[in-house]
Amino acid sequence: MISTLGNILLWLCLLFSVLQFLSCYKKNNHNTLKVNKVSANGLLGCILLSFFLLIYGHVTSDFSILNVVQNSHTTKPILYKISGVWGNHEGSMLLWILVLAIFNFFISRLYNNKNFIFISKTLQVQAFITIGFIAFTIFTSNPFEKVFPVPENGLGFNPILQDPALAIHPPLLYIGYVGFSAAFSMSAAALKLNIGNSVPWYNYMKPFVLAAWTFLTIGIALGSLWAYYELGWGGWWFWDPVENASFMPWLLGTALLHSLIIVEKRRSLQAWVLLLAILSFLLSVVGTFLVRSGILTSVHTFALDPSRGIYILAFTALLGFYSLALFGSNSKKYFNNNYFSFFSKEGAILINNIFMIIVCSTVFLGTIYPLLIEAVTNNKISVGEPYYNSTVIPILIPAIIVMGVGPVLSWGQQNKLEITKKILPSILITVIFTIIFFSIYRLISPIGVAGITLAFWIISNNLVIFYKKMNRSLGMIISHLGVGLLILGITGSSVWQIEKIINMNTNSEVNINKYKIIFDSVEEIKGPNYLALRGNFLVLDKNKNIITTLKPENRFYPITGSFTSEASIHTNILRDLYVVLGEGSFQTGWTVRLYYNPLVIWIWIGSLIIFLGGIISLNNNLKKVR
Amino acid sequence: MIQKHILKVPIIVFFIILLIFFYLLIIERNPSKIPSALLGSKIPEFEANLLFKNDKFYSSQEFGNEITLVNFFATWCKPCKDEHAYILRFSNEMNLNVIGINYKDKSEKTIKWLKKLGNPYSNIAIDNNGKIAIDWGVYGIPETFVVDKQGIIKYRHVGPVTKKIYNEINLLVSELE
Repeated sequence: MISTLGNILLWLCLLFSVLQFLSCYKKNNHNTLKVNKVSANGLLGCILLSFFLLIYGHVTSDFSILNVVQNSHTTKPILYKISGVWGNHEGSMLLWILVLAIFNFFISRLYNNKNFIFISKTLQVQAFITIGFIAFTIFTSNPFEKVFPVPENGLGFNPILQDPALAIHPPLLYIGYVGFSAAFSMSAAALKLNIGNSVPWYNYMKPFVLAAWTFLTIGIALGSLWAYYELGWGGWWFWDPVENASFMPWLLGTALLHSLIIVEKRRSLQAWVLLLAILSFLLSVVGTFLVRSGILTSVHTFALDPSRGIYILAFTALLGFYSLALFGSNSKKYFNNNYFSFFSKEGAILINNIFMIIVCSTVFLGTIYPLLIEAVTNNKISVGEPYYNSTVIPILIPAIIVMGVGPVLSWGQQNKLEITKKILPSILITVIFTIIFFSIYRLISPIGVAGITLAFWIISNNLVIFYKKMNRSLGMIISHLGVGLLILGITGSSVWQIEKIINMNTNSEVNINKYKIIFDSVEEIKGPNYLALRGNFLVLDKNKNIITTLKPENRFYPITGSFTSEASIHTNILRDLYVVLGEGSFQTGWTVRLYYNPLVIWIWIGSLIIFLGGIISLNNNLKKVR
Repeated sequence: MIQKHILKVPIIVFFIILLIFFYLLIIERNPSKIPSALLGSKIPEFEANLLFKNDKFYSSQEFGNEITLVNFFATWCKPCKDEHAYILRFSNEMNLNVIGINYKDKSEKTIKWLKKLGNPYSNIAIDNNGKIAIDWGVYGIPETFVVDKQGIIKYRHVGPVTKKIYNEINLLVSELE
């Protein structure tokens, strides 16, 4: 029943998107408008219904649907029954289409008398993308596939994914990836129609890019937070291919967002923005291809079906060739020879653009290098943290310096003396903050000093802007402040992390930093769908007062037959204490991993503040478009 | 003039990258060949109830005399049905000893299923709670292992046996003999 209905709805979605695609060939404007509004609404309605239908199937444990059998179980908590819908390949494709349809709907709302042709063309490209993904879903990854005979129960859901942060991580990330599709469509439409500046396409593009970038930021941060407490290795970023797949569009999106501001204010860099818009979305799709096709192994490799890989690759090729060929032939109109000064806001943005592109290329190279080597020599190699740390960090340092000063600068040529006057207060504040910081922490290392100084550099520049009431957007100030805090957290937790991996028996103790940790006991507990061993670790500070008891767990999920370890973390604004209970027994003792992670909470606070700043900017930009 | 050519750079770079991806997709680079820590080591021992006989299955007695195929299957798994023809051929045409491990299934259903499709297995061990599968590091159903005369795992395939895999296993078995 659900299966049939779901399939009908998916086909209706396909029908609506084909309708939207074809309607733009109509000569009669009025009809096109009508058809497009109907199809955009219809598409959104049908995909919403089918999405809820699948959720219903998962919640009611309808095991006549293969997708439910493979990813659910009656004993699973309700939240994870719902998040399990997009925690698998087929369901996540449905979510992907849903987000596409939502953006499609918002584009259709932009129609007015002047932009008619541009919006119609944009909707046509958008419809093409949607058709591609719906067809992919129906023919290779149908979430409504039936199973017969109907099994008694499901196979369960990977317990490592049963987590609140991961429940909302995919939707946020998808808003990011798919949001770039709107920029892509607009870019292709602007190039195809060769409209130049007759329609302010950049004004339409900006809210979509802002939305995509903002949600991508928080989506990545949540994924990282999850990796931090769930994987149990004390780190929050591992340069895994799938992390890179989200980081690359983020870098290009950052460049795109800032370049759009230049286009908006100065009308230069238009061709560059069109190219970035195309590449951001292409990278999102290529990232999806890399992790879904099984070409790279990662925690997100759902599908082992080569036909899916071929399909996504062919579709990516189609999108890429179409858009890049358009760029190659039609972008001349968007070039202009406005050279601008190095010491101006647009100069700073352009320099940062270049840094972002270099970082993105470096990460891209690191991600596909193992594939290149395998294709040429048949050897398997892996590119890991050392490569990224030694290539990405040196490029990011000057980028961050420029980022600090950029917002202070004004548009157009500026007197160097004036600039010096402007940034003098922030230099002073930075120095003061840094000295205070290190007089408390007293841990001096070159990278540490560089990182902390950069963080305070960003923060103090924005504080100065705020204090002097310079005419800057509030969203920008907040987001940039967030980046400063983020850098603070990143530096603290990566430069001064202390790791101890030792074998402990109950009643033994260990010192980490200024804390004493006593392994008190181990007990067996029973969760809703797992059994667990729980260790009790007393944490004592310098004065022998008990601050807290950390309770890491070693869980066994009988349904999927898998083990997970739950780290236990004590957080305050200065540091995290992090304990993981590993393998062991009462006779041999347990392997215990302990981490002292300074300032790590600022990573999450910083990301959240960036997100808030993004939302504020988005709100302002939406007002402008309306 | 230079600018004109620069505009073509993105599409050329894109084309090269796609070629590499395409090449990697089509070459003999089977993502189902998941490296197993068990390859080259002795089988994980287990005991279980048998499906057809009211008796126990002891792996220590079953392995180690002849080349044995171990096939994890379930009636609810569609690909298992697809590969069943090949499993039958292993037992009928190749005269291989095939042990089935019935993963998280209902015994009555399995018996019906085998009656309909034919039974290639010399013995079927019941793995109700999936413990045997965990010990064997099973990644997904179906999965097939080749165990040599010394009880050492020589080969592992994740996913349904296809014509290509069938030939591959045949080749391996003739080498082992």
